Amino acid sequence: MITFKQYLRQSTTYKIFKIFIREFVDFLTTFGDIVENGLKTLRYILTFQVNVKELMDQCVRFGISSLPITLSIVGMTSIIVTSQVASEMVKQGGGHFVGLLMSILIIREVGAIMSGFAIVSMIGSSLASEIATMRVTEQIDAISVLDVDPIRYLFVPRILSGIIMMPVIVIIASAFGILTGALTTKLTTELGYRAYFDSVWLGIYMKDLGVCLLKSICFGGTIALISCACGYQASGGAKGVGLATTKAVVWSFVAIVIWDMIFAIAFFF
Amino acid sequence: MSIKVKNLTKSFDGKNVIDNISFEVHDGETLAIVGFSGSGKSTVLKLICGLIEKDGGEIITSEGDIAMVFQYSALFDSLNVADNISFALRERKDLRNKYKEEELRSIVSQKLELVGLKGIESKFPSELSGGMQKRVSFARAIVTEPKTILYDEPTAGLDPISSTLIEDYIVRLQQETNAASIVVTHQMSTITRTANKLIMLYKGKIVFAGTPEEMLRQDNPYTKQFVTASLEGPMHMLS
Ligand SMILES: Nc1ncnc2c1ncn2[C@@H]1O[C@H](COP(=O)(O)OP(=O)(O)O)[C@@H](O)[C@H]1O
Ligand SMILES: [Mg+2]
Repeated sequence: MITFKQYLRQSTTYKIFKIFIREFVDFLTTFGDIVENGLKTLRYILTFQVNVKELMDQCVRFGISSLPITLSIVGMTSIIVTSQVASEMVKQGGGHFVGLLMSILIIREVGAIMSGFAIVSMIGSSLASEIATMRVTEQIDAISVLDVDPIRYLFVPRILSGIIMMPVIVIIASAFGILTGALTTKLTTELGYRAYFDSVWLGIYMKDLGVCLLKSICFGGTIALISCACGYQASGGAKGVGLATTKAVVWSFVAIVIWDMIFAIAFFF
Repeated sequence: MSIKVKNLTKSFDGKNVIDNISFEVHDGETLAIVGFSGSGKSTVLKLICGLIEKDGGEIITSEGDIAMVFQYSALFDSLNVADNISFALRERKDLRNKYKEEELRSIVSQKLELVGLKGIESKFPSELSGGMQKRVSFARAIVTEPKTILYDEPTAGLDPISSTLIEDYIVRLQQETNAASIVVTHQMSTITRTANKLIMLYKGKIVFAGTPEEMLRQDNPYTKQFVTASLEGPMHMLS
């Protein structure tokens, strides 16, 4: 004879409910960690407590090493779009708007979000697994015991490098995207470079550029913060490192899409 | 008085991992903590150096820094040996910018010499053997001349000769710094060569306190079981 309570405990509904609660608590903890560590980092940045040498190293890592993959992704996206619309636009008599379309598209949306995706998969995952490994091998404990704040030593240079380098990456990638657009237009239509670039200038607005830069600062800072925070809360060996890295990538992806939506609503609605 | 622990308690997820323990270690003394894996030895060290918060009780340590030598060395793998050792001097708030590069370099080589490793400043931790990593982590821990030194299984997983070397350094550091030390260990040689006194933990409680010689006499059922490595006795690995 089992009691109702025992019956309830072994029921599938209860188990699913328990998993749901656990995930929800985990979600709140992670969110809290991100906010808390983000605020601490911000305090260090605002009081200029930054290790310049570390910052340089992290900027090189964030910007230079990720450039090939970012350029290819934005460049190829531009090729994909141009090859599909350019010939159609020329056919319909809108040939002199191809450049304008591409510059608006890339500056407002594609440059930042595609670079963001590339950075998440490359830098976000590497930051998260690096810090998670430091956590599970007690390197972070060692930093604390030596009386150094791990947030200052690990988070500040990484997050600041994201804030500094992301706009640079997005500008370079966007310019590259507009160039590959020109090349694709040239190859798929009878339109020349001249006609393409004449209309590119028409599509560049100061407001769009400003929003693009602001957006990339938010993307870069957010990706670095989420990745560091997810790595920082890792526990339990190799499996923990894997879980933390996955979490960092998923959360960063969702976060930059949310940022993108916020920017779209705030500036272009 | 250098380390004084009174009625210390700590639980994780409702399980009493440290259950009301008290002990003292004076300056220049080394206390060995022994016990099965999972008996709470590392937790005691982490409580003393402040890595985890205690639930209750008191921990009083003398003024000055507390150093911890981690079980798996925990060297920073992205930094070379020199930067590992000088880490606290470069990054700590009150020490940052205090030393010039040459001073740091000479402190590093002096500490390396103390642990018998000269001229490996530019090597990375992954290029070193386990025993060498351990010794570098000693050098890193003592760079700020701590008054309290905690060792978590310093000789675990090392060959007998490396173990002897490490034990010698523990003794030498104790003599040179007059620090109060705690050594967590399973190894009989480490106990007899480094410690003046010893406590044995089981399920978070102290089941034996005395000197290493008293432990070897085995007149307590717990020490007897530990020294003879017997499955029979008051302590059970399972449950
Ligand atoms: N951060 C933690 N969270 C939950 N449980 C822990 C934590 N740290 C240690 N424990 C538990 O406390 C017990 C003692 O661990 P520990 O002090 O590492 O043992 P020892 O060093 O003697 O092998 C173990 O059962 C371990 O699972
Ligand atoms: Mg342990």
